[in-house]
Amino acid sequence: MTSMGLSWTFLLACLLVAVTAVLLCFGALVTTYDAAMAVPDWPATYGHNMFLFPFAEWFYGPWDLFLEHGHRLLGATVGLITLALAAAVWLREPSATVRGLVVAAVLLVVVQGALGGARVLLDDKTVAKVHACTGPLFFAVAVAIAALTGRSDMGRTSPALVGQASRLPSSQRPALRVAVALVVAAYMQLVAGAQLRHLDAAAVSPATFRWLVALHLAGAAAVAALSWTAVPLCWSHRTPARRWAVVIALVVACQLALGAGAWFVSWGVPSGLLPASWVPSEPIAARSGRGAAIVTGHVVLGMMILGGSVALAISAGLFAKSPARGVA
Amino acid sequence: MTPETMPRRSSIAFAGLIVCLAALTGCGKTPPAYFRPNMVEATKQRLTPDQEKQVATILLAMFGTPDEPVCLPETGLDEAKLRLAAGPVRSDIVGRKNGLYREHCGHCHGVTGDALGPTAAFLNPYPRDYRPGVFKFKSTERADKPTHADLVRVLHKGIPGTSMPSFALLPAAQVDALAEYVKYLSIRGETELTLMRAYFELDDEAQGSLPETREFLIDETLVTVADKWKAAADAEIQVPPMPADIDLVASIAKGKELFYGDKANCVKCHGVTGLGDGQANDYDDWNKAIVEIGKELSSGSAAARETSTSGMSPDELSEHRAQLAWLDKFGRVLDGDALEPRTIPPRNLRHGIYRGGRRPIDLYYRIHAGINGAPMPAAKGTVPPEEIWHIVNYVRSLPYELDGELGADKPMLARDRF
Ligand code: HEC
Ligand code: HEC
Repeated sequence: MTSMGLSWTFLLACLLVAVTAVLLCFGALVTTYDAAMAVPDWPATYGHNMFLFPFAEWFYGPWDLFLEHGHRLLGATVGLITLALAAAVWLREPSATVRGLVVAAVLLVVVQGALGGARVLLDDKTVAKVHACTGPLFFAVAVAIAALTGRSDMGRTSPALVGQASRLPSSQRPALRVAVALVVAAYMQLVAGAQLRHLDAAAVSPATFRWLVALHLAGAAAVAALSWTAVPLCWSHRTPARRWAVVIALVVACQLALGAGAWFVSWGVPSGLLPASWVPSEPIAARSGRGAAIVTGHVVLGMMILGGSVALAISAGLFAKSPARGVA
Repeated sequence: MTPETMPRRSSIAFAGLIVCLAALTGCGKTPPAYFRPNMVEATKQRLTPDQEKQVATILLAMFGTPDEPVCLPETGLDEAKLRLAAGPVRSDIVGRKNGLYREHCGHCHGVTGDALGPTAAFLNPYPRDYRPGVFKFKSTERADKPTHADLVRVLHKGIPGTSMPSFALLPAAQVDALAEYVKYLSIRGETELTLMRAYFELDDEAQGSLPETREFLIDETLVTVADKWKAAADAEIQVPPMPADIDLVASIAKGKELFYGDKANCVKCHGVTGLGDGQANDYDDWNKAIVEIGKELSSGSAAARETSTSGMSPDELSEHRAQLAWLDKFGRVLDGDALEPRTIPPRNLRHGIYRGGRRPIDLYYRIHAGINGAPMPAAKGTVPPEEIWHIVNYVRSLPYELDGELGADKPMLARDRF
C-alpha cells in the first residue's frame, strides 16, 4: 500500500460501505412494508435466477416485490464487493487487524445471505430478527475496514500506524473507552429495535413488549449520554475523532426526535404523556409515506450511528498498537 | 486499561454481543399462531381443564385457526375475504397481499382479537376487544351490532383522538376483507363466551360436558350469535332529516337548554364547562368487567384469610382449598390476560375531536343511541328526534362557543382551554 494516493482497498471498502448503506435502507423498508414474503422462493425469484428476473417486472412491479427483490440484488452485490475487497486486502494489506476484519466480513456476508434465505423459506420472524441484527454488524465491520485502510483521514491510526507502534497518551484513553461503549450501546439499540419492529403479535405479550420498550428507552439514554460525553473527551484530539464525535452527537439528537416520531406514527400519543389538547384531530394514517419514512429513517439512522461510532472508536485509537504503558 | 489490551477486550465484547443477540432473539422457530382461549371467562366460570379443552376443540372445528380459518355457512361470512385477511403476511407476483390482519391490526388487537396485542398496554383507550361483540361507533341502535358499512367506515376513517389508525390508504377490497375478519373474530369470541357460560346451566346428567350436537352447537349457539350480525343491516337508526329551514341560533340555544336540562342531562358527565369534567370515574364495559373481577378477588381473598380451617369437615376443607386455588389461579390469569383497568373520561366537547366521526349525522347517532360499551347513555326515549338535532347543533358549536361565564372573551378553542 502506498502512503500517498488512494489505495484500492480503501476505495473498495468505501464502495462496500456505501452499497451496504443502500442495502440496509432496502432491508429496513422491507420490514416497514412487511414485504419479506413478496417473493416466496429463494435463492430464485419466482423461479428465475435472481439476476435474470426480468428487469421491467421488478422495477415497475408491485412495491413489495420491488423492495424484496431489490434487497436481494443489493445483497448479492454487497457479497461480490466483499469478495473483491477480501482479495485486495489479501494482496495489498499487511495489517493483521484488517485481514481479520475482512475474514469476518466474508463470513458475515455469507451467514447474512443464508439467514435472509432461511427467513423466506421458513417464513420465520425469529430468523428475521437475527437477520436484522447481523446486517448492522456487517456494516460495522465494513466501516472498520474502510476506517483502517483510509489514508491520512484516519490520522494517527492510519494503516501505517496500525502495523507499527504508536502512542496513545493516557489523556486520550477515556475517549476511547467512551467510543467503544458507544459502539456496544448503539448495537444493542439496534438489537432491541429489531425486537420492537419484528413484532410477532401471536408470540409477544404486552408485558414482554413493555420490557422491550423500557430496554430500548434505556438504551437511547445510554447512547445519548455516551455520544454527548464523547464530544468534550475528543475535543482535544487532533485526530478526526473530534469531527466524528460532533457529527455523531448531532445525529443522535435527530435520532431521538425520529424515535419519538416513529412511536407517534405507529401508536399515537402515549397515554398521559402529553396534554389532551396536543392530541391531533386527525387519526394516524396507516401506511402513509411519511410514516414509513420516519420509521425507516429511524432504523437506518440507528445503523449509521453504529457505523459512525465504529469510525470514532478507530480514530480514537481502537486497534492502535501502542506500547503506551508508562506514558503519561 | 492499556490500549494494548483494547483489541483483546473488544473481541470479548464482540463475542458478548453475539451471545446477547442470540439470547434476545430467543432460539428456535416461532410456533404457528394460535387463538388464545378466553382465560378470564374460563376462570370466572370455574371451568375444569377438561371443559376448557372441550371449548377449544369445538371452536377449532367451527372456526379453524388464525392460519386456516373455517367459515360455516351459518356465520354468513365470506370465506374468500377471510382468507385474504387471515394467515401470515405474504404477497404474490402481482402484489396481492394476504395476512392483512396480522400485518395491520394484530400488534394492537391481538391475533385473537382479544385486545392483548403486544402494544396494547401503551394505548389509551385500549384497543377494542372484539370477543364480547360490542362496538361503539355505528349507525345502529345501542344494543345492535354495527353494519358492515360501519366497520368499513371505522377502518377507513380511523378513530381520531385514539391510536386506532385510518386505513384509507389501503385498497378498498383489503379494508372490506379486514372488516369481514373483524366480524369473524367477533363471532368466534362471542361463541366462545356463550359456550363457556353454558356449562353453568348444564344439569347433572350432562356430567360437566356440553352436548356436541348440531342442534346445540350450531342452531342454538352459533346461529344466535351470527344472526345478530345479520340483523344489523335492518337495525339502522331512522334519522329524520335536519329541518332545512332551521334557525341555527335558536336551535343551538334550544340544544344548550337540553344539554343542561334534566331530560338529557349531558352536563352530569360532560360537565358544566363541557370539558368532560363531570362524573369521570366510570369504566367502559371491558374495563368494568376486570374491575369487578378484581373486587371479587380481593373480597374472596379477605374472606378466605379470615376463615379458620380448624373444625372444618373434610368436605369443607377441600372446598376451602379449591377456593384458595381458584383465587390464586385467577390472580395469575389476570396478570397475564388482562390489562390494568382504565377509566373512560367523558369526552371534552370543546376539542371538536369526535371519535365516531364528525358529520352531524355521526353525532346524531352518538346522542340518539349513546355509545355502546361506554357509560354515555342513549337520549332516545327521553329526547324526541327533532330535539336531538338541536343538541347536535349545540355540541357542534361548543368548540367555538363564546362564554362569558367561563371568563373567556374569545372563542374557546381547545388549545386555549386546556
Ligand atoms: C395502533 C393500534 C391499533 C391498530 C394498528 C389498529 N387498531 Fe383498531 N382500535 C385501536 C384502538 C385503541 C381502538 C379503540 C378506540 C376506542 O375505544 O375509542 C380500536 C378500535 C377498533 C374497532 C372498534 C370500533 C368500534 O366502533 O367500536 C375496530 C372494529 C377496529 N379497531 C378494527 C381494527 C382493524 C381491522 C385494524 C387493522 C386493519 C385495526 N383496528 C388496527 C387501536 C388499533
Ligand atoms: C353517564 C355519563 C354521560 C352522559 C350523561 C352523557 N355522556 Fe356523552 N360521553 C360520555 C362518555 C364516557 C363518552 C366517551 C365514550 C367513549 O369514548 O367511548 C362520551 C362521549 C360523547 C361524545 C363524543 C362522541 C364521539 O364520537 O367522540 C359526544 C358528542 C357526547 N358524549 C355527547 C353527549 C350528549 C349530547 C349528552 C347528553 C344528551 C351526553 N353526551 C351525555 C359520558 C356521558
